[in-house]
Amino acid sequence: MQNNGRLAGLLSVCDESAKKEDQNIPPHVLIIGAGSTGSATAHDLALRGLRVTVLERGEVAFGTTGRNHCLLHSGGRYCVTDQESAIECIEENMILRKIMPDLLELNDGLFVAITEADLAFKDRFLQGCAACHIPAREISVKRALAIEPFLNPKTLAAVQVPDGVFEPFRFCLAFLATAQENGTIVRTYTEVTDLLCVGRNVAGVRIRDLHTGRQEDLQADLVVNAAGPWAGEIAAKAEIVVPEVPTAGVMVALDCRLNNLVLNRLNKPSDGDIIVPQRATSVIGTTSWAVENPALITIPPEHVDRMITQGQQLIPAVKKVPMRAKMAVARPLIAKSGVDARKLSRTFECFDHERDGMNGFVTITGGKTTTARAMAEKVSDMVCRKLDISAECRTRDTLLASYRLFFQRTHSRTPSSVADAGHRSYRRSIFNEHG
Amino acid sequence: MSTLDYRKVSRASRWLDVRRRKLGMWAYALNRITGIGLVVYLYLHLVVLSLLLRGQAAWDFFVTVARSPYVLALDVILLAGILIHGLNGLRIAMTGFGIGVGAQKALFVVVMVVSAVTLWVATIKIFRI
Amino acid sequence: MNMVKVPLQIFRYKPGQAPRYDTFMVEIPDTSHVIDAIDTVWAIHDRSLAFRRACHHSSCGSCAIRINGVEKLPCVTRVTDVWGGHDPLRLEPLRNFPVVSDLVVDVTGLFQRMSAADMSMICEAEAFLPFTVDTFAVAGLDPKLVELPENFSRFSRFEKCIECGICVSACPTMAADEKFLGPAGLAAIHQARKKSNDPVKVEHLLGLADGEHGVWRCHSAFECTEACPQAVDPAGKIMALRRELIARRFSKMMGK
Repeated sequence: MQNNGRLAGLLSVCDESAKKEDQNIPPHVLIIGAGSTGSATAHDLALRGLRVTVLERGEVAFGTTGRNHCLLHSGGRYCVTDQESAIECIEENMILRKIMPDLLELNDGLFVAITEADLAFKDRFLQGCAACHIPAREISVKRALAIEPFLNPKTLAAVQVPDGVFEPFRFCLAFLATAQENGTIVRTYTEVTDLLCVGRNVAGVRIRDLHTGRQEDLQADLVVNAAGPWAGEIAAKAEIVVPEVPTAGVMVALDCRLNNLVLNRLNKPSDGDIIVPQRATSVIGTTSWAVENPALITIPPEHVDRMITQGQQLIPAVKKVPMRAKMAVARPLIAKSGVDARKLSRTFECFDHERDGMNGFVTITGGKTTTARAMAEKVSDMVCRKLDISAECRTRDTLLASYRLFFQRTHSRTPSSVADAGHRSYRRSIFNEHG
Repeated sequence: MSTLDYRKVSRASRWLDVRRRKLGMWAYALNRITGIGLVVYLYLHLVVLSLLLRGQAAWDFFVTVARSPYVLALDVILLAGILIHGLNGLRIAMTGFGIGVGAQKALFVVVMVVSAVTLWVATIKIFRI
Repeated sequence: MNMVKVPLQIFRYKPGQAPRYDTFMVEIPDTSHVIDAIDTVWAIHDRSLAFRRACHHSSCGSCAIRINGVEKLPCVTRVTDVWGGHDPLRLEPLRNFPVVSDLVVDVTGLFQRMSAADMSMICEAEAFLPFTVDTFAVAGLDPKLVELPENFSRFSRFEKCIECGICVSACPTMAADEKFLGPAGLAAIHQARKKSNDPVKVEHLLGLADGEHGVWRCHSAFECTEACPQAVDPAGKIMALRRELIARRFSKMMGK
C-alpha cells in the first residue's frame, strides 16, 4: 500500500477530481479483472453513466473465466443442495438468452440416472426444480437414447432441463464491447501492482503496462476488485482480508463431440458428473481441490483419469476418443470456516471494505459465469450507493453489442512502435504507428 | 465498399520459405520461381532472335554455341520450368474455378510426376543430338 | 507423472527495444501442452512475458502462435509432439499481424473482416453424432442419427471457425496485400451467405467476395486449409464462392 511517497502527486489528482465533480463529470470507477465478473460490471456501470476503466493483466478471460466449463446452468445441479444458487442460475439463464442470443448453444440438458442411487434421487430432484422454478420434464429412457445415441444404454431415467452452452472468451468480449460503446476503456496487459491510499481511502491504483514496462498511477473514485482467485492478493495490498479459497478443478476436452445436450448425473454434485458439448468437442468436468498459487496449477494425472472414468458412466464411448486438451483453473470460492471445498456454496458475495475501515474499495467474488450479470448488478448497486448516484440497473433487457467490436474499439493496442515479426532471416524494421 | 483499415507490416517475400509448409505452398513457390525464370528466359529469347537481324554469320555462331552441352543443360532446366509452370497452371486454373479443390495435393503430385517423366524422356532426346 | 526439462526459445519484443529470443528452461510434466509450458514461464520465470490465452481447449482462438515456424494452437499441441528432446522449442507470434509485444499480436484487422462478413457464431448442427474437426478422432465410432426433443426444430452449435488468425498467418497473399479479406474473412462470407435468405445481404456479401480484395486475390497456396486447426477449409470456401460468382456472371451474360 502506497501511502506517503506519492501522496503529493495523488492529492493533486484528487483536487482535479474534485474540480471535475463541480462540472458534473461522472465519477471514475476502476475495475480490476476482465473476467466474467469484471466485464459484466463494466457493462452495468457504463450503462448507468459512470466512467469506467477495466484493468486486466493478461488477455480478456485470462484467468478463471477463460477455462470454465462453459455451462449455462439451468440450476438443476444445485436445486437440492444449494437452492439459493439454483434460483440465481435459472433467472440468469433466461436473461442471458435474451441479451446474448447469438453466443449460446441452446440444446437443453439432461439429468441422467445411471444407478439405483441416482434413480432414488429423482423425486427430490424434481421437487427441487419445482421449488426453484426450473422447467424440468422427465422423458422416457427410450426417447433420451434416441436424442442422445451415445448416452449410456443402462440409463434408468432422464430429466430434461434448460441447460445451455456459452463460450467464455466471447461472453466477456460481448459485455466489454457494449461497455466500450458507452465510454468504458479496457486496458489489457495492464497489471495492478499497488493500491494507492490517501488516509483510509483507496484513491487509485498503481499499474504497470506489460507491453511497455511503464509504470503509471491512475486515479479512481472507487475501485472494484473483480480479480477472481486473486482478489485476496489485490485486497492484501490495502491490508484487507478477503475470505476466499482458490479451488482448482480439472476438465478434459475430447477430440470429438459425443452429445448435443449437456449431460449431468442425476445426483448430488460430485467429480466428473457433467459432460458439456461445445463446438466440436465434449468437455468432461470437474474436480475440486484447494490451491496455494492459482497462477500455476499442475494438473494431477489422477484427476484426468477420473474424468475419463466418470465420463464413461454417462457416455461409454468416451474411452474410444482421444483427449484434445485438458485445463485447470482456480474458482474463487468464498470461504466458510470448516467447510469442505466441494460443499462451499457457489453463490457470490460483495464486500464493502468500508466495514474493514477502507473506503473507495469493494470486492465482488465467488459465483459463476452464469450469474455474472447478477453479480454485476449487485456490486453496481453498491457502487452507486457509495458514490451517491441514483441510476437503475438496465442490464436485464439491454441487448449486447457484437463481441467482434471489442478489438476494434480497444484503444490502440499497438503502442508507439511496431515490430514486424518476420522470419528470422529477414531484416526487421521498426515503424512508428499512430492508431 | 470502402477499404478496411488494416495496420500491418507486410513482407511480400515470405512465401520463399517453404520449410515445414505443405504441398500447396510448395506448388505456389515453384510456380512463382518458374514464372520469374520464364520471364527472364523470354527476354533472353528475344535477344537471341534479334541475332537474326545481324545476318547468317551471327546466327550460325549462335547455333554452334547452342549445341554445346552446357546450353543443352540450360535447355533442360528451361523445359522443367515450362512443364512445371504449365501443368501446375492447369491445376491452378482447375482448382481456381472450384473443380477438384479437395484433390489439390494429389493433383500437384500428378503434375510433378508427369513433369519428371516428360523431362526424363526429353533429356535423353536432347542429349542425343 | 514424469517431468521433463524443456528449453523454450521465445520471441521477445517490447516497444522501443530490439526484438530478441529468450531461452527458458521449464520443468513440466511430459503430458503437458505447449500452453502449459508458456504458462510456466510466465508464472515462475518472467512475469513480463505477454501472451494470449483464455479457454485452453481450442474454442476461443486467442492463443494461436507459431511453434517451430508453423502456426498452431498451443492449447491442443502436446509438447512431446513438437519437441524432439534436444533443440529448443521455438515460439513466435503469428505472421501478417502487427506485433504488440512478445507473442501478442494486434488482431483488430481480423475482427474487422469478420465483422464485415457478419457471420453469426451459431449454425445448425449436423443430423448425426459424433461431430469432429479431427478425422482420426472418430475412428471406431459409427455415426448415429439423432432425434430432436419436442419443441426443437434443430440443434445448434458454434461455427467451426474460432477466429484464431492461423489461416491469415499462413497465407502468402495476406503478406503481400494489406487489404485482402483473407481466408478467414472470405470463409466467413461464404458461411454467412449460405445461412442467409435476405437477397440484399447476399448481394452485399457476394459483392465483398467479388471485390478488389476478395476471392480473386487468392493464389491457391491452400496453406490456410492445411494450417486451420478447426477443419474450416477456407480454400474450399473461397473456391466455392468463385464458382458461385462465375455462375452468376454466366447467367447474367445469358440474359437471366
